[in-house]
Amino acid sequence: MKKIWIVIVNILIMASMVAFVFVYSNIENKRTINRQIDHFQSGTVTMEQVTENYLEGEQRICDVWANYINSEDMTIQEATSFIHISHVLSYASAHLIYKDTLTGLSTRESIIHPGDYNVSYSSIGLFGDMSWIDSNIGESINISHAYTNPINGEQSIAFCNFITLSDSGNPRDAILLRVLPVSELMRKWVFHKEFEKAELSIIDMNGDYIIQGYSYENSNFFEFYRTYNSTSPASYQELIKTITTSETAGTFMMNNSNRESCILSYTPFGAGGGWIFLSMMPEKYLNVNTENWLLIGVVSGGLVALFIFDLIVMLYFNKRLQISAEEADVANRAKTKFLSTMSHDIRTPMNAIIGLTTISEKNIDDKKSVKENLHKIELASNHLLTLINDILDISKVESGKLNLVPQTFSLVEMVENLMNISQPMIKEKNIDFNFRVSKVEKEYLYADVLRLNQIYINILSNAVKYTEPGGKVSVDLIEENSQKPNCVRLTYIVSDTGIGMTPEFMANMYQAFSRQTDSRVNSIQGTGLGLAITKQMVDLMEGTIDCQSEPGKGTTFKVVLDIPVAEKQLEEMKFDKPIDVLIADDDEVLLNTAVDTMNSLGLNVDIARSGEEALKKSKNRHNEGKDYQIVIVDLKMPDIDGIETIKRIHKEIDSNTPALLISAYDYSDVEKSAKDAGASGFLSKPLFRSTLYNKINEILGTDTKVIEQENDNSDLQGINILVTEDNDINWEIISTLLEMYGITSERAENGRVCLDKMKEVEKDKYLLIFMDIQMPEMNGLDATRAIRKLDDPYASNIPIIAMTSDAFSENVAECLNAGMNGHIAKPIDIKLVLKEIRRVKEESKK
Amino acid sequence: MKKIMCTLMTVFSVALLASCNKGGGGSSDEFAPSMDADTHCSIRIVGDYDNFPELMNRFKEFNAYYPNVQLNYQKISGNYKEMIATVLEGNDKPNIFFSSTWMLEDEAYASIVNHMEDLSDSSLKINLSCIRQGLIKSVNNLMVPLFGRSYGMLVNNDLFEKEGLEVPTTWNELLSVCSAFREKGYTSPLMGYSKKEDNCGLMTTIAYPAAIASIANSPDAIELANKPDSRAGEYMRAAFNAVDQLKKNNCFNLTECDSIDDNYNLVIMRFFEGDVPMMVCADDTPSGTRKREERSQAFIDHPFSYSYNPIPLTDKGGYFIDTPSKLLSVNKYCENLDMTNEFMRFLVTNKALNAMAYEKNLLSSTKEISFESIYAPFGDVTPEYTYSPEGLGITGTVKAQIRKLAFKVATGAMTVDEAVAAYGE
Repeated sequence: MKKIWIVIVNILIMASMVAFVFVYSNIENKRTINRQIDHFQSGTVTMEQVTENYLEGEQRICDVWANYINSEDMTIQEATSFIHISHVLSYASAHLIYKDTLTGLSTRESIIHPGDYNVSYSSIGLFGDMSWIDSNIGESINISHAYTNPINGEQSIAFCNFITLSDSGNPRDAILLRVLPVSELMRKWVFHKEFEKAELSIIDMNGDYIIQGYSYENSNFFEFYRTYNSTSPASYQELIKTITTSETAGTFMMNNSNRESCILSYTPFGAGGGWIFLSMMPEKYLNVNTENWLLIGVVSGGLVALFIFDLIVMLYFNKRLQISAEEADVANRAKTKFLSTMSHDIRTPMNAIIGLTTISEKNIDDKKSVKENLHKIELASNHLLTLINDILDISKVESGKLNLVPQTFSLVEMVENLMNISQPMIKEKNIDFNFRVSKVEKEYLYADVLRLNQIYINILSNAVKYTEPGGKVSVDLIEENSQKPNCVRLTYIVSDTGIGMTPEFMANMYQAFSRQTDSRVNSIQGTGLGLAITKQMVDLMEGTIDCQSEPGKGTTFKVVLDIPVAEKQLEEMKFDKPIDVLIADDDEVLLNTAVDTMNSLGLNVDIARSGEEALKKSKNRHNEGKDYQIVIVDLKMPDIDGIETIKRIHKEIDSNTPALLISAYDYSDVEKSAKDAGASGFLSKPLFRSTLYNKINEILGTDTKVIEQENDNSDLQGINILVTEDNDINWEIISTLLEMYGITSERAENGRVCLDKMKEVEKDKYLLIFMDIQMPEMNGLDATRAIRKLDDPYASNIPIIAMTSDAFSENVAECLNAGMNGHIAKPIDIKLVLKEIRRVKEESKK
Repeated sequence: MKKIMCTLMTVFSVALLASCNKGGGGSSDEFAPSMDADTHCSIRIVGDYDNFPELMNRFKEFNAYYPNVQLNYQKISGNYKEMIATVLEGNDKPNIFFSSTWMLEDEAYASIVNHMEDLSDSSLKINLSCIRQGLIKSVNNLMVPLFGRSYGMLVNNDLFEKEGLEVPTTWNELLSVCSAFREKGYTSPLMGYSKKEDNCGLMTTIAYPAAIASIANSPDAIELANKPDSRAGEYMRAAFNAVDQLKKNNCFNLTECDSIDDNYNLVIMRFFEGDVPMMVCADDTPSGTRKREERSQAFIDHPFSYSYNPIPLTDKGGYFIDTPSKLLSVNKYCENLDMTNEFMRFLVTNKALNAMAYEKNLLSSTKEISFESIYAPFGDVTPEYTYSPEGLGITGTVKAQIRKLAFKVATGAMTVDEAVAAYGE
């Protein structure tokens, strides 16, 4: 439905409702008015009866007087005297006038001529026609029109009777008038309060006022009506007829002299022959429920307000829907793009895996080719795994389900891990790599180490990935005081001399699947999700991530995080007595940070910026008889490298000086030559305080200790592990891999089997248990909980490491909460597996 | 150049009009209330009018300033002259009452005059200056004339047109027109109330303006006329001659005129019959025409245009006898005298008095008189033919003499000479 129609329908509904309220109110008002009018009419009738009773009473007094005068053959003086004596009311008077002359005597003296009781009605005009006076006394009420009392000037009415007086012994017709001020009658006219504005009049059949209320104008009511009301002659005559002939009360509307609409009620006046009692009141004084207008106003206002509100809400929701629709459209397009991208990104390594597998099967006898293919398959598989992990991570991030699972971790171990992961590519691309730490006092921190690792790895791997072979990548990890309580501020800066980014790309680089369009980039494998995940995780950790980049010059990422310090910290590390140490490196920054670190350990540090300088300084100290107690030499230096330097120190100066080789690279390739040169050990960059402390202690304790054989797996021989795995292939893979390192394993097909085995296990039969999570009958979590409850202390305390495809951090947390001791995600990295086995073995020794 | 001149002329004209508006707007005497608007009281006005809607309209206007003041007009029953003294002394004393100039001239009405407040008292701030001097001069500032009136005749203009005759503007034309009408079958081209001697009857209305004109320029004559002294009779000859000449020329037929039983309502109703070319009448009779148009079936059936013209008693036209009509006095012994005077301050303004005159269809008593409606012909009377008897000091005695003698001349009871001789008797 079009918007305009909705508006029209709304307006029509509102108009209908308002119209209904209006009509209903009007009907109610009219009913109320009609009720009021009926009430008013009844009041008029009541008032007429009150008036009639009053007038009848007064007339009866006049009748009594008249009867008495007639019966006593009185002269005018005698009659006047009699009435004067009978007067009770101070405002009342009586006039006795002869019919022929209309003059006579008053019971009260003239107000302007004191002592004069003569009265004349000759010009008053009351008695031109005397037919309104009934000859039979007591038969009717004979009231005059209101007139001006000639004795006192007051507007008065007179109750009359014919009497016969004695005049010089002869009877003479006269009229007896009992005169009362009109004001006295009006005083009786007290309407009910709601009609207090009503005014009364009495008119005769001609419309002439007998008594005229204030608001009644003209000398004739009908004249008054015609003056202020538009009427045709016919309806005017009809009105006169209705009023003058009606035997019952009636009401009609008319305008008064102010052109106000008035109610006029009329009722025949029983006391006067053919007189009509009138009552008039402006309609505005009717007690009509005017709140109805308020009701209409409120309803109208309410409806309009509701309409406007609905309109605004409707528009708002329409806008929201529009935005949602657009977002849905964008999301849909993104999904399509995502699926397309995923299809491409998954098919590419899958193509390599399947293709190379087929090639290998065909050339199974060509060992070199098979080895080469397997290496490529491994690379493709790793990429595929990264892609899947990233997709799952971004999915969780975007759905808001990514939760941090903090745990205590070693910063040193984390950096070592970081180094290990990045080393292969650094090595492969022959990148000049540096990793420096500065002011790291607290090595144990409390954070979600997996996510922290992920942040650092993503940034570092991007730097390595997008730096051309022979380029330079440097990492700085700085620990500072944080403003957050119990936290340190870790600043992680990765700078490279890679391809850099354009400002346009940087504007959207944190969006998923964004990869710079560049011929060089296209040749690099990537999901386009790494930075998006990194940014989300930094935000989740309430940190900041900044980037400065210039195409062709390189990029610098800086991540700042406030991370809580773990309760567990290393004991105070300081040598009891000063030890003279020479450190040689061409990296000025590393030298500065190393000097700081070593000074804090209580070492006397001397520095050399090259191998030659190291030799020179060693010679000088040797000649002074103060040989350095340890010499630490960087592997890669511009003039002579670290191995050569050690070799020459030992050969030319002192063959017993302990020498440590430091490197940011994997030193497995140079291990043998270093050993041959007399190196006492290796130190991986960056140089952590604890690493230095432990290594120097170790060197000074066993001077001749040779470099550990990193690839020596003899320590793993004889270890037996219980692997709980329901999937046959997975079981085959893990058991085969373990077997390759001399580790034996037994299988439990599910949690139940594992539990049963542990119930009957002999002590020290297994070093640990690798536990799958999702299994039939009993899952890994339940099995772990059950094992932890076993009575046998060995069984209940056996290390259990999760080995599962549930790789999210909350899955890790779930495993640890169930009582497990570690977590390895599938697909398994055998290096991590071995590291975990060694860790367990070391802990079991303790 | 022409364009510049036109522009300058336009600007000048506009400025002139604006200044005219400022000067003649009449807003200078605008009423300004001076009492508490919440005052509760009542003011009662009595008179001899059956009703007085024009005054009541002023009540409503006054109530806009003082909503709680109840104003009421009441007719006094009986003979007003006889009753007003009693009413003024009564328990319900009126605040304002109708008064007449003759009350000042007759000792019998001294008690009434005694009740009259001096409206010229500066403390009252009643703007008497808005009233024409000739109307106010003679009443010693004890009365305020609500209207002005004159002596003239209602003219049926359509009838003149129908008969192909011109409305007369000179004495000879009057005689000729009457003759022409008579020849066309109109037995009484001039009509008027003639049944009794009346201040405003046919004869008085014809004779009085001529009499005033005769003595107006002679203070001695006025003094003699006022006395009345028989020596003033000769001054009145012209007045009696006018009546006599009209009679002799059969301009009016008394039998016809005597069919009119009263000198107000029936005069108008007879005129509205449509067959009377000229109806002589005075006082406020013309004011009653408008209201009665709709009461006359003959007029409703055959409406016609009419006007109130001066009777052309001279070769140069007729007279405008500027006379006060319907005077009000304040009863200085009434209750609520302050509010009563406040009402008088409201009433005695150009605005209120002109509005009343317009509504009543009478001439205004103010200096800003405008000859509108049926009074337009009086606007043509030159100042030399305009007289204000009261302003000249001519008393009611003169009119009484003229009324009596002119009636006799008209009815044939006296000749002109006898009437002249009888003046002052």
